[in-house]
Amino acid sequence: MGKAAEGDEARLDRLIRQYWGPLKIFLVTTFPGLRDDADIVLQEFAEDKILREGWLKRADQSRGQFRHFLKTSLRNFALDRLNRAEVKHPPVSLDELEGELPGAEAPSEEFDLIWVRTVLAETLRRMETDCKSPTADQPRRAHTWEMFRIRLLAPIFDDTPPVPYEQLIDRFGLRSPMDASNMLLSAKRIFKMHLNDVIKEYAEQDFATAAEVSALEEFLSRMTNRG
Amino acid sequence: MSELDSSEAVFKSRPKRLAALMEAGTEGARLWLPEELAAIFQHQMQAPVLLDLGGFAPGTAVRLKTLSEAQGLILKSFSDLFHHPSPPLELLRLTKDFAKANLDHSESGLPAEIVSVLYYTSIAVALVRLDTRISQLKDADLRHGLLWAKDQAWVDKETKALLLEAAEKISKETNL
Repeated sequence: MGKAAEGDEARLDRLIRQYWGPLKIFLVTTFPGLRDDADIVLQEFAEDKILREGWLKRADQSRGQFRHFLKTSLRNFALDRLNRAEVKHPPVSLDELEGELPGAEAPSEEFDLIWVRTVLAETLRRMETDCKSPTADQPRRAHTWEMFRIRLLAPIFDDTPPVPYEQLIDRFGLRSPMDASNMLLSAKRIFKMHLNDVIKEYAEQDFATAAEVSALEEFLSRMTNRG
Repeated sequence: MSELDSSEAVFKSRPKRLAALMEAGTEGARLWLPEELAAIFQHQMQAPVLLDLGGFAPGTAVRLKTLSEAQGLILKSFSDLFHHPSPPLELLRLTKDFAKANLDHSESGLPAEIVSVLYYTSIAVALVRLDTRISQLKDADLRHGLLWAKDQAWVDKETKALLLEAAEKISKETNL
């Protein structure tokens, strides 16, 4: 195995660990019968399927988004595993067999929802770590995270009103509205940069990253409109 | 929200909140709320002139310092500049250009209303204090802009008076 292949393997291994949550949710929602063995099946999937040389090449742009290709691969892997198990131990009733059959839409949406949550949680984790790094421009950078947290995150997650402008002035020693705007804009840019980085690790190309950001936004919009 | 639970919050949140978070990275959205304009304007008036204008026109720091210290009177803030009986014309021009540049590039994050009032106030001060026109706007448009700025609820009384005086000066001189 060449250096490039080793690099691909390490990258895929890291991605699988990172997205273990959505993969597991998708697996147990699609195949409830595998609930107890989900971690083992995922481990086998990772070792036998994903980490084998050549899988990544098939997950290229011509096969659609990485996220969808991963989902399809896992579904096929689990179906194949169930088929092999059924040959050895045929289901005793039609009900039992139907219980193993994969549904289509709901598990896929559940997977995508957990996926986007994983992406966003990782984005926030990296942003916070980055902003609090002692090697960064401190205390300005730490203030940037704090500004993002109290001005944007808290209103979204806690339903609290944004901290008023006049309180921000004292809290962060802001010298002018331009200074305040620059800090808030910096926070947004840092968030966007980490979001793109997290997605680019699996989407790879810039254009595919942009497409994936749009796809996740459209997915959330669809879910929101459904209520 | 405590400092450590952003990840937990993401995993508990419904799609609507996640969509709002995705949107947080968008720069086009308005940074500040309309009800914050009074505090922002007050802050702008107290902000050091050298800070904003120095950043706007790099390389002019020494010149700006000289101008703001002209006549032995130190102009620390925009308020000092606007309410000085004989403010340096060059500083007023720079302030107008700074405001115009921010109006033309909304990604600066400064509310358009704030920079518009800054823009018209610098013109008004030049007209009233120095009897000098630093804008090429047509008389009617300039008067309209000055009156619009004067009518903003969050503008302080002294600045309103300046804007009104400038608008009246144009009316007298042009029979508008």
